[in-house]
Amino acid sequence: MTLALEAEWKLLTDLIEERFGLSFTGVRRDILASRLASRFQALQCGNPLEYYYHLKSHPERDRELGQLALTLTNNETYFFRESHHFECVARHVLPAIQDELRVRPLRILSAGCSSGEEPYSLVMSLQASGLDALLPHGWEVDACDLNPARLAQARAATYEETSLRSCDADARRRYFTQEGSRFVLRERHRAGVRFFACNLAAPVMPLGSGRYDVILCRNMLIYFGEAAFLTLIERFARALVPGGLLMLGHSESIIDRTPSFQAVVLNGMVVYRRCVPD
Amino acid sequence: MSVASAAKQRLAAVDAMPEPERLGLILATLEDEAPTVREQAIRYAARYLEPARLVHLVANHERALLRNSAIAALERQGPYAVAPLVDVLTGSADAELAMFTLQVLTRIGDPSSAGAVLPFVRHEDLNVAQAAIEALGAFRAADAVPHLLALMAGNLWLQLAAVNALGEIGDARATGPLLALVPDSLVAIPAIQALARLPASAVAEPLAQLLCDLREPASREAVLIALADVIARDPAQVSLAPALAVVDGASDEPTLTRMLSEATRAGTTSPAARRSAALLAAAVPMPALWPAALLALHELGDTTVVPALLQAQRRRLRAQVDTCLLHQNPLVRAILLEHAAPDAVTSVRLMQALQDVDTGVRTAACRALASRHCGEAVPRLVELLKTGSDAERDAAASALAHLESDTLAPLAACLVASAEPELIIQALGVLEQTGGQPQIERVIELAAHASPSVRRAALRVLAGLPDRRVDPVLLKALGDVHPAVPAEALEMLVQRGGDRALNSLIGLLSLADSLRFRVIRALGRLRVARAATKLESLYPSCALHEQLEIIGALVLIGGPGVRAFLHARFAEPELEARRAAARGLAALAGTGDLPQLRTMAEDRDWNVRNEAARGLARLPLDDTRPLLLTLARDIESVVSATAREALGGTSARERTAQA
Repeated sequence: MTLALEAEWKLLTDLIEERFGLSFTGVRRDILASRLASRFQALQCGNPLEYYYHLKSHPERDRELGQLALTLTNNETYFFRESHHFECVARHVLPAIQDELRVRPLRILSAGCSSGEEPYSLVMSLQASGLDALLPHGWEVDACDLNPARLAQARAATYEETSLRSCDADARRRYFTQEGSRFVLRERHRAGVRFFACNLAAPVMPLGSGRYDVILCRNMLIYFGEAAFLTLIERFARALVPGGLLMLGHSESIIDRTPSFQAVVLNGMVVYRRCVPD
Repeated sequence: MSVASAAKQRLAAVDAMPEPERLGLILATLEDEAPTVREQAIRYAARYLEPARLVHLVANHERALLRNSAIAALERQGPYAVAPLVDVLTGSADAELAMFTLQVLTRIGDPSSAGAVLPFVRHEDLNVAQAAIEALGAFRAADAVPHLLALMAGNLWLQLAAVNALGEIGDARATGPLLALVPDSLVAIPAIQALARLPASAVAEPLAQLLCDLREPASREAVLIALADVIARDPAQVSLAPALAVVDGASDEPTLTRMLSEATRAGTTSPAARRSAALLAAAVPMPALWPAALLALHELGDTTVVPALLQAQRRRLRAQVDTCLLHQNPLVRAILLEHAAPDAVTSVRLMQALQDVDTGVRTAACRALASRHCGEAVPRLVELLKTGSDAERDAAASALAHLESDTLAPLAACLVASAEPELIIQALGVLEQTGGQPQIERVIELAAHASPSVRRAALRVLAGLPDRRVDPVLLKALGDVHPAVPAEALEMLVQRGGDRALNSLIGLLSLADSLRFRVIRALGRLRVARAATKLESLYPSCALHEQLEIIGALVLIGGPGVRAFLHARFAEPELEARRAAARGLAALAGTGDLPQLRTMAEDRDWNVRNEAARGLARLPLDDTRPLLLTLARDIESVVSATAREALGGTSARERTAQA
């Protein structure tokens, strides 16, 4: 790649990081180029600079930024992925805060929920835990994502075979009804889940303060640039109740990167507890 | 806010700090416990600390973290640090400092320091000597070869470093001394690996001889991989004839055959050794080995070298072609058909292969026919285009696209409105490449097809035809309801050029519609000088996206007034206009623009500084070196890289001039 072209890509990746917090430097630049090929073609942009101009100055830039968000966040996931986090919520979180749960619901945020597999898996795990007695007010699972198309799919709760790759025959029967080649999640497993569109890197994020007992943000922080990463971690800290837990993907860590969280081991894995203010 | 975040924020404001405070903050954060803070501090240290100061930090053997940060900053300074580093190297008695200095010079990779490094290969401190040897290897310093050869009999570690360096330098003079280290020295394997990097003409034959002679498995596998690397580097040009003669005449040919045959099979050896065995098996005159070798290369995803291998074997392949093309494995047949030279697998055989029972073989035959210009194949290729698998259709279209347009009459069956749009588009794709004049009436009809994809494909064909019926069709397409069609039609009008199209484009400037920014872009690409005045007068009333296009277009058009226009744009508060203007000023930079480039080099915006470096690259190095050396230390990597390239480029120009 020539240096002139590299400078054009930098304009574009800086803009993407500024708008969405997502980092596409180094080898991830090739991934970005591959994902944007269809947008370049659709807008007849011959190079990154022309696309950058479109995003910065074209009258229809807002629409294209929406398209860009779809293109960048079209990440696949599946039910019961890294299910030890769900077990951890049932086995460790519920017993630890059972007094509080007598007067309010359990509140969990699934940040970057994609097409809904994660929040629904959480609900199914809570239902299967047999700990209903600890949840007299039930639960509220808030689930957000940047990609409106993914959220629409999440609300429709209809999935392809690939989303069920970790479900055995029994789980498929229990949780889904099959319609042709697709699987529809049964209504009762959607209880208490609310989806909303949210750009986690936006200047203002509607997560509130001291609201959630647990935040799941798995396999997403690795795509964030340094500044957005640190900002988001502090936002999560604010959104959690004191002592609330942040659960990240197995390849992600915030150890030594923020004083707001303390790493603890629960259920044999590292999770991050929001420090209680002095 | 975390401690690390606070430190990073303070560093981000370092540009505006007074000198003592700035240096203090940078020095303090070079030892910060957070790696991300240190990384940022290193970028600022490279920008604001002189090499001598950084070297002083490197010499501080008590504070390893500070020393490591200083080393990283020196590396980042690149050419700016070379001369001071050489001064330290030649003037200091501190052996540890000399070692670190050599390592930094190695990573900067500026070969101009090789002369200063050379004496250090005999330094009494082995670490220093080893670092010097490694530096000379990294510089590919041919002058160092005799000195490195002299180390072959000395200390083992220096010998090992010298062997590696000789491999990196790649000078044929090292062939004999390196061969002498095989098989009975402790550095036999590194020596074999170094031999693989020397010129093929010097090493192919001795390596082939070694392969026959060696019995010890590890050495033999290393030679196998080395010889294969030599072959793969340039199979067509490698003078393998003497090497193959060695193999041909080897007394233990059955042993070699057995070894290659076994090593080529999956699971019997490492992937690297398997690849090497396959390469060698395809290169030696043993046709029985070829199918397994080709399959292995295919499985390993390494088929780019196959055409050159088969080219080198074409005489033998021609004699064996009947047997080879009857091979029971269709993949072998497909690989041979697709990659063999025309005189080994003729067009007649390819035509026969279009009837093969296997779709992969038929696809391969189509691909091969693409380069044969075989008109007799058209009916069958059109049939495959209509009825074949996706791969066959693509390959058939590709083959048809290489033929003369007057042989493509059978393609007319695909150019009817009632055909599948996908088929029509593929057929139009063929005409786009061959020229569709004989079919122009059909194509004009398809330009009004219900599918916008078909309309666009038809327009692409028409755009390449010098027919007066085309321009009206393209101008009409500017009003197409599908947004992609007018945009593409505009591009095509640009490609066609001509007064009529240009006048139409200039006329379109008066319409403030969604297409106008593309019209501006087109006029720029066509460098339509008579549009310049209109574009400039349009600028104040345009939206930003059109203004940016106008700046770009006027830069391409050039003309006497463009510099003044760009200076005015650079003075605007709008960042993107300033950047576009800077891009233009860099593209047009001449000697008289040095003051402007100096201003740009000090700009707060990285993109403007980057354009300054690009502009400076166009000027004589004597005038620009200090500015470029400053930019080479820029905190933004791309700016630093652009400046370094400018320094290298101008150095190269100077060297050429001196020569």
